[in-house]
Amino acid sequence: MKLTISHLGKQYRRDFWGLRDMTLELGPGVVGLLGPNGAGKSTLMRILATITRPTEGTVHWNDTDILKSPDTLRAVLGYLPQDFGIYPNLTGQEFLEYMAAIKGMDAKTARRRIEELLVVVNLVDAARRPLGGYSGGMKQRVGIAQALLNDPQLLIVDEPTVGLDPAERVRFRNLLSDLAGERIIILSTHIVSDVEATATEIVLINKGRQVQRATPDKLLDQFDDRVWQWVIPEEQLTGLKQTHIVSGTVRRGDGIQVRIVSQKAPAAAAQHVEPNLEDAYLYLVSQNGGGQ
Amino acid sequence: MKTTRILYHLAWADFLERTRRYSFLVMLGLVLWIGYVSASGQFAISVSPNYVGVINSAWVGATMALTASFTLGLVGFYIVKGSVARDYVTGVGQIMASTPMSRLRYMFGKWLSNYAVLAISVVILALAGIGMNLWFGSGGLNLAVLVAPLLLIALPWLGFVAAMAVLFESVAWLRGGLGNMVYAIWWLTLISVSTVPAAVTGSSLSPYLDITGFQIFTDSVTSSARAVYPDATLMSFGAGLTRVDPGFFPYTGVQWTGEVLLSRLLFLLLAVGLVVLAAVLFDRFDPARLPRVKRMASAQEPAPAAAGEPIPAADIHLTPLSAAATRFRFGALLAGELKLFMKGQRWWWYVVAAGLIVLQLFRPADEQLYPLIAAWVWPVLILSGLGCRERRFNTRQIVYSAPRPLSQLPAGWLSAVLVMVLLGCGSLARFLVAGEWVAALGWLTAIVFVPSLALALGTLTGSGKLFEALYVLWLYGLLQQMAAIDFAGVVPDSRFYVFALAAIGLLAVAALVRGRQVRGI
Repeated sequence: MKLTISHLGKQYRRDFWGLRDMTLELGPGVVGLLGPNGAGKSTLMRILATITRPTEGTVHWNDTDILKSPDTLRAVLGYLPQDFGIYPNLTGQEFLEYMAAIKGMDAKTARRRIEELLVVVNLVDAARRPLGGYSGGMKQRVGIAQALLNDPQLLIVDEPTVGLDPAERVRFRNLLSDLAGERIIILSTHIVSDVEATATEIVLINKGRQVQRATPDKLLDQFDDRVWQWVIPEEQLTGLKQTHIVSGTVRRGDGIQVRIVSQKAPAAAAQHVEPNLEDAYLYLVSQNGGGQ
Repeated sequence: MKTTRILYHLAWADFLERTRRYSFLVMLGLVLWIGYVSASGQFAISVSPNYVGVINSAWVGATMALTASFTLGLVGFYIVKGSVARDYVTGVGQIMASTPMSRLRYMFGKWLSNYAVLAISVVILALAGIGMNLWFGSGGLNLAVLVAPLLLIALPWLGFVAAMAVLFESVAWLRGGLGNMVYAIWWLTLISVSTVPAAVTGSSLSPYLDITGFQIFTDSVTSSARAVYPDATLMSFGAGLTRVDPGFFPYTGVQWTGEVLLSRLLFLLLAVGLVVLAAVLFDRFDPARLPRVKRMASAQEPAPAAAGEPIPAADIHLTPLSAAATRFRFGALLAGELKLFMKGQRWWWYVVAAGLIVLQLFRPADEQLYPLIAAWVWPVLILSGLGCRERRFNTRQIVYSAPRPLSQLPAGWLSAVLVMVLLGCGSLARFLVAGEWVAALGWLTAIVFVPSLALALGTLTGSGKLFEALYVLWLYGLLQQMAAIDFAGVVPDSRFYVFALAAIGLLAVAALVRGRQVRGI
């Protein structure tokens, strides 16, 4: 099982590329796509989901060119777009049955799978209600369920936890971890902790280009001695933000506890702390000129 | 000052949003085509028995004003309607509703934006008229005389059309497909009434009732014609009226009397009144003021936490499926499409449908026209979802990334055919029992042609509006026994079989367009 992306690019206007020279080879596991708004994550995902044609480059699924034979990939694809709709007059169950038919699943398998998925996404009680009455989080869970209907070998999920409450987010993370061993999962999100919890590999994208690719451990290793923490008076915070990458602040009785990413000690009182993925993300994005 | 500023920004932002859409380019193309058709004499004014005006600025102005009144009066409504609905769909409406903006300001903003779009169409027609005057005309260009009918007759009427669009959008049940049909029927009635010649009614229509301006032109054109040809009788306007070897008369234009001007001003004020009415009826994006059915759907929203006994997160596991679990299954897809068609219809929809079928069964084979047309117009709002449902509900990415995404198209088409079959089955039974084989063939042509038309228009425009309006007008034409548009073999000696070939062409268009959509949105 292999997804090979080679020099992929998408040009939207004469002077604007949404994605440029993206090259990746992915095997089973969860790949977390991280990047600021407009970095090109959704463009990459839409190309991989055979929705958008790239301007240049190739994508191969197990040596099959998916630009020439998209159905080869579509048969094993599960896709949750960032922005999707539902048919409001169908119930959750009916919508999943319809999607199962579209994906070519036989009735018996589809019925069993839908039953199981409704439990997994916690929608058993709401399954027979029209989708038009679902909350945002419930619609999102229907979206997750439809993406998993055909037990996809390639699962692409774009901002899957948007609108989910914290309990459902944790639930979804666990589901991804359960699914991860036997398929390729591409997860795009702004919620760094979701990536931290599930990704076996991280690809950082900025301004349409790949900035960094590493396992979470290796990425964090680079920041072993670069994250500092200390308490400053509140009035110094604005000045500090102008000179350093501040990755966190906590208000305390004696001032503000700041967390910054810096190669050198920013102050005599600053002490090393364990880096996390958010520190690494903020540093790498800022080093590459910030977002769009 | 503040109100003016708010109105300006409301209308301007809405106008920009529309003009930057692909559909606006389509509209410009359509109006350009209408302008060309009119300037090239295919939409023409003529006077019985065989007289036309000399092409001068007054004649061109009258032709263009009538073109604007007749075509944009119908098409324009569908072009501009949808602005408020977009605010519902995008959620912008709820953001606006949370600001101090009043309903009246909002509706006026929408009306001004509608009006601006229609005014652009009038400008295009004016330019086409100027070209016609310079190219074919005699006596040079008199800009004021040419433009006056467009400004004083067409524009107030289009202001009314723009206000009707706003009014329809402010009433929940008129906002969708039903409203599109109601407007088409209203327009047909209006045109029928306003173009009834004085010779038939015995008296000329008062300018205060002549909203399209047809009678104003009738009076001035026929009096100009009679000045040269005393036997001149009725004025006509429309397509295919080109006369062979006609007699020419100089048209001097409309006499802009105080009464005519006042009547046009009153229609504009009436438009403003409609906007005020729209503001009164508008629910200001409040879900609590939605119709009962929609409100019930919203009220069913359960709290996420209450949805079942939560299973421990650690226990989440999905059973792997076998690799052979998926393959193309047209039957399942067809069943899914049928369910999509029929879900959401209220019980009375089925009762009326059953009643229409029973009605067909109890009428003799030669009296099937009205029950059959009624039965086939009944599912228009279902049929109009063909080809554009994925866009309307934003399911394109999910559907198009499934295997063999094009297979959904024939499944949708066939389910529409089945709906047509079901609703017209009473007539078919009567035709077969009576041995009316030609009628049965016409029936077959119709059940193939109508879904093909809906599918092609839906995929091409991404909306059901064009099909809804066109289909209603088309069926009205069938009731009037117009042989040229008879796709169902209901008019004696019509060449209905041509529409079977047209259906194939329409299906090809739909497949081509959908193929392009699937290959890259």
